Amino acid sequence: MAELTWKIGGQAGEGAMVTGRTLGKAFTRGGLNVIGYPEYPSLIRGGHNTYQVRVSDEKIYSPTQKTDLIVALNKDAVVFHKDKISENGGIIYDEAIDISAIQFRPDIKKYPIPFAKIIAELKALPQMKNTITLGATLALIDYSFEKIASVLTDEFKRKGDEVVRQNVAVAKAGFDYVKANFKSGEFQKKIKPVSDKRKLLIGGNEAAGFGAIKGGLKLFASYPMTPASTLMHFIAEKEEEFSIVMKHTEDEIAAMNYAVAAGFVGVRSMCSTSGGGFALKVEALGFAAISESPVVVYLCQRPGPSTCMPTWTEQADLKFAVSASQGEFLRVILAPGDVEESFALSAKALNLAEKYQIPVIIMSDKFLGETHFSADHFDESQLRIERGKIAKNLPAIKPGERFKRYMFTKDGVSPRPLPGEPNGMHVCSSYEHDETGFSSESFTNRVKMVQKRAKKLKAVLEELDPPKVFGVEDPEISIICWGSQKLPALDALRILDDSGVKASVIHFSSVFPLDPKKVRSLLKMCRRTIVLENNFTGQFASLLKEYVSFKPNYKMLKYDGRQFFAEQIAEEVKKLKDSNWKGKKEIHVMEEEDFEYYTPSKYHL
Amino acid sequence: MITLNDLTPKEKPQWCPGCGDFGIVMAVKTALSELNISPQDTVIATGIGCSGKSCHYVNTYGFESLHGRSVPCASAIKLANHRLTVIAQGGDGDGYGIGMQHFMHVMRRNYDMTYLVHDNQIYGLTTGQASPTSMKGMKSKSTPHGVIEVPFNPIATAITSGATYVARGFAGDMKHLTELVKGAITHKGFALVDIFQPCITFNKLNTFQWFQQRVYKLEDSGHDPKNKDVALAKAFEQEKTNYERLPIGLFYKEERPTYESQLPQLKDKPLVEQDISNIDLSKAYEDFE
Repeated sequence: MAELTWKIGGQAGEGAMVTGRTLGKAFTRGGLNVIGYPEYPSLIRGGHNTYQVRVSDEKIYSPTQKTDLIVALNKDAVVFHKDKISENGGIIYDEAIDISAIQFRPDIKKYPIPFAKIIAELKALPQMKNTITLGATLALIDYSFEKIASVLTDEFKRKGDEVVRQNVAVAKAGFDYVKANFKSGEFQKKIKPVSDKRKLLIGGNEAAGFGAIKGGLKLFASYPMTPASTLMHFIAEKEEEFSIVMKHTEDEIAAMNYAVAAGFVGVRSMCSTSGGGFALKVEALGFAAISESPVVVYLCQRPGPSTCMPTWTEQADLKFAVSASQGEFLRVILAPGDVEESFALSAKALNLAEKYQIPVIIMSDKFLGETHFSADHFDESQLRIERGKIAKNLPAIKPGERFKRYMFTKDGVSPRPLPGEPNGMHVCSSYEHDETGFSSESFTNRVKMVQKRAKKLKAVLEELDPPKVFGVEDPEISIICWGSQKLPALDALRILDDSGVKASVIHFSSVFPLDPKKVRSLLKMCRRTIVLENNFTGQFASLLKEYVSFKPNYKMLKYDGRQFFAEQIAEEVKKLKDSNWKGKKEIHVMEEEDFEYYTPSKYHL
Repeated sequence: MITLNDLTPKEKPQWCPGCGDFGIVMAVKTALSELNISPQDTVIATGIGCSGKSCHYVNTYGFESLHGRSVPCASAIKLANHRLTVIAQGGDGDGYGIGMQHFMHVMRRNYDMTYLVHDNQIYGLTTGQASPTSMKGMKSKSTPHGVIEVPFNPIATAITSGATYVARGFAGDMKHLTELVKGAITHKGFALVDIFQPCITFNKLNTFQWFQQRVYKLEDSGHDPKNKDVALAKAFEQEKTNYERLPIGLFYKEERPTYESQLPQLKDKPLVEQDISNIDLSKAYEDFE
């Protein structure tokens, strides 16, 4: 297994993200597996930004705590990351940075590069210094320079040949400088392309966008909110190509009402937001439910409550989503665990919403949504459009009569004529209503309507994916997780396997409603279970208790703004085993390192 | 021909006898019938309040949304199927209170839709609290010591905010109101008709009689609705005359391309009619490779 973890760090606005993604693409163009993981504060300039690229010739799932090669664009980056450099790792930095007072472990290799001199010699722009580091990186790991040249060419071709030429020249200068000035072979990690087959390098949000487009999305209404906005940007960029209307509305409330109303007209619709925006959408979520209008909400979580830490990650909105809105009604919550599921579940959400005339929530988070993963073109073979009971060619109705849009049916789903359909006139209403949509306060009608809408549960449960199980047969411990935390959990399996712990991962991508019988019978078979959640209280564990009557043995929780790292999961599970499974029932994990991305200046660097 | 009968559902309107809402519903039905617009191709989207019940009493497709949300819902209905005739209806509390932000932005967009505001200067369905258009000093359940704010001026706001058809009607003059509604429906763009609609139960100040003594028709005074400056001056006449003279009629009208006409996605056919069965993603992957 050839593997490398690389990280670039600098101020917000210095281009660390773009540079990182460019390197990631150079690797995916060599057929390699890549994780591109950004960390950044809620600032446009200043603060501290990083982008970690993990590349391997084997399947990998998540970022790592340690980094083999750091690229420091400023002094903050040197100080913040030097202690997380792996053994015999290295650091590339601008030779203008004064590192004389900084202590390094002796095994760390230093690669100072004269950014200013190279830029001046090539008459390039100062911001191209990042590109020097790309060339320098490839020289150290002996990777094909041609790959980075091809990515730079594609990225800059819109800006003209001269810009392309200059960027490639700058990267080459970095490459040549390292080859000429540092001993080849001193940096031991080497990466080679494994094939010419290009993979995608794509974020969870964008993958969800692909899924939604494939699933027939036609109207996307949204208001910008980190970390959901990259989905909005993606749809906006593609709206003409795929004939979608992307409307940036005046606020979150309008966006949700747009989506619900478009659903009523028969157009597949969706909106995206994070927790604060979802809070504003909640009234219209209930409206979608009572009016039985299809709608999909993409809820990309970040820490809460309130504005909190906008650019970080958490899974603490689950119970909010499960119970959002006054009243009781069926909603489906899907939680993709990787980009492939982000794709497939977005398409599926649009089907479920329309087929069952219910609201569907897709819960992702900053970690999955904004991290970039290598992937093949998504598997579309299982996808087909299912529109459910759209009513057409209706029999004539008498003058003054309305169509029974909310007709009582065996499965609770009523035929739905779309506006424009002759003889289908009805009122789609937020009030409790009779079968035609006319307001009703009859007790009998109310009971029948509540039961009618609830009846859909049976068929919906049959549609939802059962939890997926990974790892060894007969594990001594099973790690239960939902949504994005599948990724570090799967990487943890490998570490646990190496250290002799027999473990499995049980991942839920359909988190609500839960099928009590099926889920219980699966979980009852486990010898020991630990629920892994990116929140403070163990919200999914609480759902398991309430809806499945299952209580896991342990909970492992993390709520510092970062997702779990595989190393942390493995370490805590090993500790549990070492205690002969008598360790703490509730384990709270947090980072050992701490630095302030928002105000690095407080370190007086 | 679409007759009034075609547009009249069997349920009888449930408003206070003498409510201005009866006149508004009749004006809408008459306008649709005289314009021969088919009920199946019309959506009336309402908010919540006494006005919100209007969609029950005209037998088109109805969308009874949330309090204050008739406008975003109507907007999306137009985007989803721009061949529909879309009418949003709400009250002064609904549209100028809780839903104000939508009102401001929908005018900038100029969707081809009609917005009828049942402006009774009071919250009726919640039994009588002051609204954004209540007059200064008005006593109500929420303002027992009198309203301190000055009232919101929807007409002046609409003229300065991008609305392309700005009118005011009076529920006590059905014939005149019908013409304004017809003008609003046929106008290509966002049309506001703010309607003086006396609430006979909770607003004892602005009664039918009160309005009858004060309203006069703009068209009778030779007003030119193409002149924005004059229109704006007319919009402020209520304040200038201390509410002694209240112009009704078409204040302002301009032609401007609608939002939806500027979307190439809608050139061939409405979104709702576009095929979604076989979408080819292959080209879009290239950006990520």
